[in-house]
Amino acid sequence: MEALKIGITGVRGVVGETLTPELVVRFAEAFGVYTGGGRVLVCRDPRPSGPMLQAAVTAGLLAVGCEVVDLGICPTPTLQLSVRPLGAKGGVSLTGGHNPPEWNALKFVRDDGLYLNAAQGEELLDVYHQGGFARARWDTLWTRVATHDAIPHHLERLRACFDVAAIRARRPRVAVDYGNGSCARLLPAWLKELGCEVLAINDDVELPFSRLPEPSVAAAAQARAIVLAAGADLGLVTDADGERLSLVDDTARALSEELTLPLAAEAALVRRKGPVVTNVSTSGLVDRVAARHGASVVRTPVGQAYISEAILEHAAAVGGEGNGGVAVPELQPSHDSAATVGLLLEHLARSGSTLSKLASALPALAVHKLALAVPPRLLFSALQEFREAVADVAEASVDLRDGVKLSWPDGWVHVRASNTQSLVRVIAEAEDPARAEALALWARERLVRVGAR
Amino acid sequence: MKAIPTLKISISGVRGVVGDSLTPELVTRFAQAFGTYVGAGGIVIGRDPRTSGEMVQQAVVAGLVSSGCRVSDLGMVPTPTVQLLVRQLGAQGGIAITASHNPPEWNALKFVGGDGLFLSAARGRELLDIYHQGDYTRARGADQHAPVRVLDAVERHVRAVVAGLLPLASGRKLRVAVDPGGGAAVVAAPRLVEALGAEVLAIHTTADGRPPRPAEPLPQNLGALCEAVRSHAADIGFAQDMDGDRLAIVDEMGQPIGEELSLVLAADEVLAGTPGPVVTNLATTEAVEAMAARHGCPVFRTRVGEANVAEAMRAKRAVIGGEGNGGVIHPGVNFARDSLVGMALVLRRLARSGTAVSALAAEYRAFRVVKLQRHCPSEHVAMVLRRARERWAGRPLDLQDGVKVRLEDGWFILRPSNTEPVVRVIAESSSDERAHAIADEVLRDVAGWIAAAAG
Repeated sequence: MEALKIGITGVRGVVGETLTPELVVRFAEAFGVYTGGGRVLVCRDPRPSGPMLQAAVTAGLLAVGCEVVDLGICPTPTLQLSVRPLGAKGGVSLTGGHNPPEWNALKFVRDDGLYLNAAQGEELLDVYHQGGFARARWDTLWTRVATHDAIPHHLERLRACFDVAAIRARRPRVAVDYGNGSCARLLPAWLKELGCEVLAINDDVELPFSRLPEPSVAAAAQARAIVLAAGADLGLVTDADGERLSLVDDTARALSEELTLPLAAEAALVRRKGPVVTNVSTSGLVDRVAARHGASVVRTPVGQAYISEAILEHAAAVGGEGNGGVAVPELQPSHDSAATVGLLLEHLARSGSTLSKLASALPALAVHKLALAVPPRLLFSALQEFREAVADVAEASVDLRDGVKLSWPDGWVHVRASNTQSLVRVIAEAEDPARAEALALWARERLVRVGAR
Repeated sequence: MKAIPTLKISISGVRGVVGDSLTPELVTRFAQAFGTYVGAGGIVIGRDPRTSGEMVQQAVVAGLVSSGCRVSDLGMVPTPTVQLLVRQLGAQGGIAITASHNPPEWNALKFVGGDGLFLSAARGRELLDIYHQGDYTRARGADQHAPVRVLDAVERHVRAVVAGLLPLASGRKLRVAVDPGGGAAVVAAPRLVEALGAEVLAIHTTADGRPPRPAEPLPQNLGALCEAVRSHAADIGFAQDMDGDRLAIVDEMGQPIGEELSLVLAADEVLAGTPGPVVTNLATTEAVEAMAARHGCPVFRTRVGEANVAEAMRAKRAVIGGEGNGGVIHPGVNFARDSLVGMALVLRRLARSGTAVSALAAEYRAFRVVKLQRHCPSEHVAMVLRRARERWAGRPLDLQDGVKVRLEDGWFILRPSNTEPVVRVIAESSSDERAHAIADEVLRDVAGWIAAAAG
């Protein structure tokens, strides 16, 4: 029974095992109570377990007196953008994000369209654990669920944010592999508005995912083939719920998802100077890009809630994470792959450059990633022991905001507990690939000593 | 005195007060238990118009889908529509979300088997065991099925009734007033009357969960319908309960004829064409026997409850059956208490005979039924029934369900409610006064026994 994570980012588990309807009902009731009643938006990604979860969430929200507005299958950022204009008290996005199809999750959005932050997540958990929810009486219940198409509003906001005319004039040729995820409900219309010539595959949300929803070099195989065959200007590989994006350049090279943020940061900083927000675990490439523009980089713990709040606090020009999620603050301070696409296409159109040229202008940094399984009961004590074991490593600067990050002049290694699985993640980066690998292995050896596998 | 419970989990389903005991978590568990019990397959669901219907339905859907069932959602429909569609769609079972005549803050789940009948006591007990064990079938996401909305359920039901019960005799255009009471039959009742070729006037057709009159179609609740019949010179008035299984009739003069006669008039029409056995419960008027005797047909009596009557009908190959609360079951059309079936049969009788409803009812003038009840704490129920058996030991007794006593000039039955802490007495004699006197005397005795037991 390890396939359940109840945490500040929401509740996540495997349907058919741990993510049961009664658990989801209770969590939805807790969230409804936490929002204080009122209108709550609900959307889902196309996973086959979505209808079950949505029914359970709707039942729980209705029972505590909330009004439920069903947005159907749409990207999470589409829901986030609709919360304010619809006067909602919050939203629930039912999506396993980048997780494999058997997983699903409830992600909780607050009344300004941002995810609950850590403190709010803790409060929600307290409400959930206390139970005894105040339920609505028969004469105060909402008796029906309204449906609403939030896509047009998202498109309208996207249009207002980017130089549509410049992109249309360039008439880019774009290959997209939606993987049958939610983006297939939004991006086709957006790319059409941008005057793109689109070559799309796996764009049917009624079908099962065509590949793992995590955008990665491996997931880009089909997109690469199309870019190559059609001579496209770029290829897009989307996740299941419209947050993360990885790219294929015009030479059909699949770019690591770590490159999405640095490329977007380059585009954003040309538009407007301002700080760049990212997490402590994200590649130092973004520091190099920011330095080129004289911009600062603000680092946060891992998790979108931290990124979004830091974007607002620092009036950032752009934010994002190494997983391919990028936020364009002019649209919203949350990861939004449709905005990322707009930002990149606008930059390509205005600069007349190509994605391969932009990518090759980035310095070469080697990244080495490892994941070690740790039993849930040992997850945080293992990390604590690791932290003590490396406290006196010579010459390293130590950042303890999220796990343990050790930095040397020629590289860094970051060790942290996964928010979503019972894993310790190790990520190391250096200009020298051997150095990156050595740093990762050094950390692994110390983790194994304290119980990791 | 103990608090009146707001939750009742029993072999006949689960019912409770919304906002209190009937939580979505409990509902979704029960739906999972049912899905586990019947196995992955088709399940038909429908609901009455209670304000909590949407919430409860979502919880039911989550539980059924989680257990791997394919859900066909009929929307707001009468309970007998759910039962009919279970058979029409070849489903494994059904769930009707309705608390029938309970006040609007209540709701309930009623479970239907693949044969369209409510679960029997034995099967209800099996379901309850699975619910309590909590080890439910959980389908993986890839093996789950999104619910499918069935938009033509009422139309299918109306078509089945019309096809099964032939058209009305021509020559007499009947004027029919219907009062579905803001219940599940607000669409089906007027639609059926139209489909039968009669003229319809409908009242109380807004189904928003805030009932315009008390849910039970008892004479004292039908003032508006009586008025509508009189002011529009209708030939007959029909009233239904919240979930459309029970039927009451108002005659052409605007007088309720009593819900006991719904079954009698409907059965009379069936036996005239297809003589055969009749099944009803122990607490129903003996006008049934008088009517059946004219056709030379036998009557069988069962314990109270639709499941009991329906099972006996199947065993006895009955051609018609039902209960004295206005529930008519025609196995050729729908193995369920079905107010649409009752309406069609009574209208057919009217059209054929050319007589007035009051004249048809007058044939049974000598059968007067009175129904009373009184509070009885559950700890005293067994004692009350024992004392009743002793008190009337010298009379012919029937102990299948409570205590039924035959008197020289009538009969009565004393039985505890399945759903409330009350005992009910139903008495029948040849006059209202005498029936009342019998029932009053029984309740006086009961009051005395309870007072003595309480010290």
